[in-house]
Amino acid sequence: MPSSAPPTAPVRDSVAKVNDELAVGSDLEFQRRWWKFERAIWIFFTLLIVLDVLGVFGRGPLAKARLRAADGSAEVTYERIERHKTPSVLTAHFGPSAIQDGKVRLWVSDDLVKELGNQRVSPQPESSRLERGGILYTFPAGAPPLAVQFSLEPSSIGRASISLEVQGRDRLSANIFVMP
Amino acid sequence: MAAVFRALFGYCFLVFMMRIAGRRPGKQITPFEFLMVFFMGGLTLTSMVADDHSFINAAVQILSVAAAHYAITALKLKSPRFGRIVDGTPLVLFEHGRWRTESMKAMRLTDEDVLAMVRDQGLERLDQIDYAVLERNGEISIVPSARAK
Repeated sequence: MPSSAPPTAPVRDSVAKVNDELAVGSDLEFQRRWWKFERAIWIFFTLLIVLDVLGVFGRGPLAKARLRAADGSAEVTYERIERHKTPSVLTAHFGPSAIQDGKVRLWVSDDLVKELGNQRVSPQPESSRLERGGILYTFPAGAPPLAVQFSLEPSSIGRASISLEVQGRDRLSANIFVMP
Repeated sequence: MAAVFRALFGYCFLVFMMRIAGRRPGKQITPFEFLMVFFMGGLTLTSMVADDHSFINAAVQILSVAAAHYAITALKLKSPRFGRIVDGTPLVLFEHGRWRTESMKAMRLTDEDVLAMVRDQGLERLDQIDYAVLERNGEISIVPSARAK
């Protein structure tokens, strides 16, 4: 039994020609519009690179932030713009008024663990317990200057609000944005 | 689900970047440009894979990229306008003894790039060709003049 013939179509001379001889399908007007678009995109890319170097997308000078308690008990340095799954460090510095009975008791909101993925506290606290929707760490303390570091690795994208408070002192709050 | 989006975004972003960075693959590609292609691919890969090194993640991402590629190819066939956006149109670089400088400059091509393709065709001089055309795949086609034929 003969097989059916493959479908065919007549050749249409629809391709634009150059000098009425070379069928090349060029569209210079479209290309001119595209080149204009390309120039605009390169300006935009350059702007993105400059903003990134400045730290607008994290890990640069504009991303670094500092919070100081009015009573001088604590000062926190952190990155106001973090990057998803990228390590960073939040440091809490303590003044003499933070020390009570040779200990510093620091309460942090649980967003530090949940949203910002706190991996490690250095130095190790003497104890930690759940309290008021956060964690209360107790550190043995000597003479100032004293500092505690939290190693962060944000696990979710978007805005996170954190609060820190030396027990019985002013609370420090900050909004952190985690970039994808 | 995130893996699928990462793969689709990575693929579309690379397609766009390659379109913006210039149409010079194929025979015109230099070692310097190979470097860019591998770098871009490698850097995209790190964010696509993220911290999920499982086989299922790799398989799902490969399927996602293949599906995106299929969709773009199908759209190109359906819409010539979309095809022009993704691939551009062929561009005449040289015609009857004259360079088209606007196209050469915009595509960041030099006389040397065209001459290399002329030699590749077994020809020696520009007066042996009528046209040089930058094709959509980045290759430069040479149309020999009647004398050279």
